[in-house]
Amino acid sequence: MAVAPSRRFRFGRSEVDARPGETILAALARRGWPSLTRSIRYHRPRGPFCGVGHCTGCLVRVNGVPNVRACRREARAGDIVRTENSWPSARVDLLGSLDFLLPHGVDTVHGLRRPSWAAPLYQRIGRRLAGFGRVPDPPTAPTPARSRTVTADVTVVGAGRTGCEVAEAIVRAGARPVVLDRRGAEDLPDAGALPGAELLPGTTASFLNPPGADRRTPFTLLAVDTDARGVLVRSRSVVVATGAYDGALLFEGGDRPGVVTADLALSKVTLPWKETVVVGGGARAKEVVSRLGHDVRAVVAFGEISPELADVAAGLGVLLYPRSRVVRSLGHGHVRGLELARRDGGGAFRLRCRTVVLAHRRLPNSQLAFQAGARRHWVDPPGAYYPEVDDSGRSSVPGMFVVGSAAVPTSRAGPRADRTASAVLGGGGSPGPSDPSAAWPSEIIPYYRELLRERRRGKWVVCPCEDVLLDELEAAVRRGYRGIELGMRYTGVGTGLCQGRYCLPEAILLLSILEGRSPGEVGYVTQRPPLEPAPLAALAALEGELASEGAA
Amino acid sequence: MTFGRSDYRAVIVGAGIVGLYTAYHLAKAGERRLLIVDRGRLSAGGSGRNGGGVRQQWETRSTIRLAREAVMAYRRFGREFGHNLWFRQGGYLFLAGTAEELERLGRVREAGRAEGLPVRLVDVAEVEGLVDGIAPGTNVGGCYLASDGTLYPYPAVWGLYEAVRGLGVEVAFGVDAFDVRRDERGGIAALKTSAGEARSPTVVNAAGGWSGEFSRRCGLEVPNVATRHEIFATEPMKAFLEPMVVRVSDGLYVSQSMRGELVGGLTVPHRPGTDAGVPSSPRFMSAMAGALLGLLPRLAGLGVLRSWAGFYDDTPDGFPVIGEDPRLAGFVHANGFGGHGFMLAPSASRRVAAAVLHEPLDLDPQEFSPARFLGPGAAPSSERLQLG
Repeated sequence: MAVAPSRRFRFGRSEVDARPGETILAALARRGWPSLTRSIRYHRPRGPFCGVGHCTGCLVRVNGVPNVRACRREARAGDIVRTENSWPSARVDLLGSLDFLLPHGVDTVHGLRRPSWAAPLYQRIGRRLAGFGRVPDPPTAPTPARSRTVTADVTVVGAGRTGCEVAEAIVRAGARPVVLDRRGAEDLPDAGALPGAELLPGTTASFLNPPGADRRTPFTLLAVDTDARGVLVRSRSVVVATGAYDGALLFEGGDRPGVVTADLALSKVTLPWKETVVVGGGARAKEVVSRLGHDVRAVVAFGEISPELADVAAGLGVLLYPRSRVVRSLGHGHVRGLELARRDGGGAFRLRCRTVVLAHRRLPNSQLAFQAGARRHWVDPPGAYYPEVDDSGRSSVPGMFVVGSAAVPTSRAGPRADRTASAVLGGGGSPGPSDPSAAWPSEIIPYYRELLRERRRGKWVVCPCEDVLLDELEAAVRRGYRGIELGMRYTGVGTGLCQGRYCLPEAILLLSILEGRSPGEVGYVTQRPPLEPAPLAALAALEGELASEGAA
Repeated sequence: MTFGRSDYRAVIVGAGIVGLYTAYHLAKAGERRLLIVDRGRLSAGGSGRNGGGVRQQWETRSTIRLAREAVMAYRRFGREFGHNLWFRQGGYLFLAGTAEELERLGRVREAGRAEGLPVRLVDVAEVEGLVDGIAPGTNVGGCYLASDGTLYPYPAVWGLYEAVRGLGVEVAFGVDAFDVRRDERGGIAALKTSAGEARSPTVVNAAGGWSGEFSRRCGLEVPNVATRHEIFATEPMKAFLEPMVVRVSDGLYVSQSMRGELVGGLTVPHRPGTDAGVPSSPRFMSAMAGALLGLLPRLAGLGVLRSWAGFYDDTPDGFPVIGEDPRLAGFVHANGFGGHGFMLAPSASRRVAAAVLHEPLDLDPQEFSPARFLGPGAAPSSERLQLG
């Protein structure tokens, strides 16, 4: 019998076998829930959360390089994988006592400055504790600078269903697009049949620089591939088809291991899903329940549970809790249960579980478009900013189009691929009217308002990457630092490794409640480039290519 | 009329570190009728965009004195303003790549020594001890002062903002200042803004990158030029780099913040002026990555986390402009800091306040007076240690 070749790597003191193409996280997950890291400030236990390479829940050190995301890094034979930011291990970390010693967190803006003779001591301790991994090991051999430059008529960012449809329509219209996606070729089922297009799998878009005002220069897209090679794509037009992702949810202990997004639950990573509670009452929650089947214990929704989801749940004997609020998670390390409350009155009750899957809110992954300067508008539900686009996907930036769930909520039909393709190739024209956002009743804001009203004191982590607490957001507002721009600078919310993907959408809603004004007035923070941490070597490799560009 | 008072003793344009500190010194001196107007919001300009470096190594005596005083002020900031700047005196290390650069650093050392600062020239072995993992052959030595350091700019802005508000200073955001109305004697009657006129005999131009533009709006030709500079920060790591490292040859600078991020910049030329805003550029990201890897090759696999840009307010000779404009009584300059506003603000603003109050200044007029750019004997451009 043929056995698939194994890729054996070292994890701490043990040897782990990975299947070809499998990520480090996927290989480790087959042995149970992995403890890979601790949180940055209070050393709270953390586990894999997003599964799509954004959060800080699975950072490991691989072959001497810190802060590697185990969910994105393919396991290779001979890899040496270690946990960091914990001692002696991520599972049993003595620094975890900081979490108990500082039950209300630490005020780094005002605190730790008295007595003044102790300030240098605080600094030494703070400096030792800060950061995730240790500095990279010195290289054994010089890193070769490797880069690649591609020029195309059109760049399509994202090879999901919509991206591929648009790319196909562009090919049909006689042009040759370049299509890139951060996922590997084996994870792109829709990209299989794209003759006439150049596909760059495993290539992460970092920075989209729009043409100058005179439009003489093309779009410049900086990207990084899985071999840490710098990729530069120049094109006259760009189609952003970066899709959507599952948002986080604020509740006490919501940052515990075992709380994950639907993105992770629906990924190729197989964790022990037994005794799962799914949060959400719509199509995404139904997807998760269908996938996890009998492992799902209950479904909790803020509002009603859709009949389709109820049908699937009934067949599996899943408990349904509509109109409910997640108050807190139970347990010390890993989640052991949830405390829930009925939103229409009645007391709190508890539910035993080992995993909580968040499938309540799909958010647009449109950061690349905002970074390039696209105008945005607030759309509720889901309660998030979307780029303003017309019915072809044309944004406010000439030559840039946004399509699919990066452009409109998943519940609505996005721009049609053929219309986008002809608008892209037709060029010219001015932005058409934007999709009028209906003033639909919001679900998430009233939900958070109730939660804030009834919450108890405790560590409510708004920003898990930087361990920023709800108390700190409240303090900022109380002191008069209003709006997300000041809130971010005052508290550090959104300044961590996920570039605010998980905390900023929630922080905008929370600030809107705390400040008593609309989310539009609270504002938005455009993610600073690169959109995802990009290795220095890959950026440096593009130096020669970019040096020739004039001052802009 | 949307301002709180019908007339003011002084109106300050710019609520950055220089404007706030100036208001603070004036309020402490007993002036209560003060207004600060700012076109943006708190920390939106250079005071929220700088790398947080504070050094005392300079080539001229008056700048060294200002810088020393600033370091003292930042050391007691926590006690005075109740905000923790995390001012870490990990030193500043200037690296020379050639014997000529090292000779230049020797002059910096002499100037510092003359003012009683223990500036040291360090050899290659010492540099290697200070910068763990520095690539061999990248330097021939350097110049080091242990009491220089880095701080977090934001808490300084919060602390000062709260302090001046507590002292009764009015601060108006989102207000664009576009001209002054002159009185019949040729002085200033009022500041014209997008929110109406603010009557005041004194207007302080502390607008940072926009100060040249504001002076010109008021009919005063000045040589200030706004230049865009960029910074990036890497993913946070455990502490490994103590000092701020600055390379003389290309101006590369990098330090490790209290959060563990490496924060640094490098000058790549951009078209001058504020029109294009402050976008990041791909050119900077790759050039900076290349320069940093040249210095610390071990960082090859480390990720760049974010980058941003801001304006330097540059003057031809690289010195700030502090004092009343000889062409317009009551128009006081507090600008031209060329990227060093934050590191000199506490002490420089004290002189700005003195200029407002018509007190004598203890500054070398050749270095700081606005008059040096006027007339036939105008100050020439000069080469200066404008780095880090």
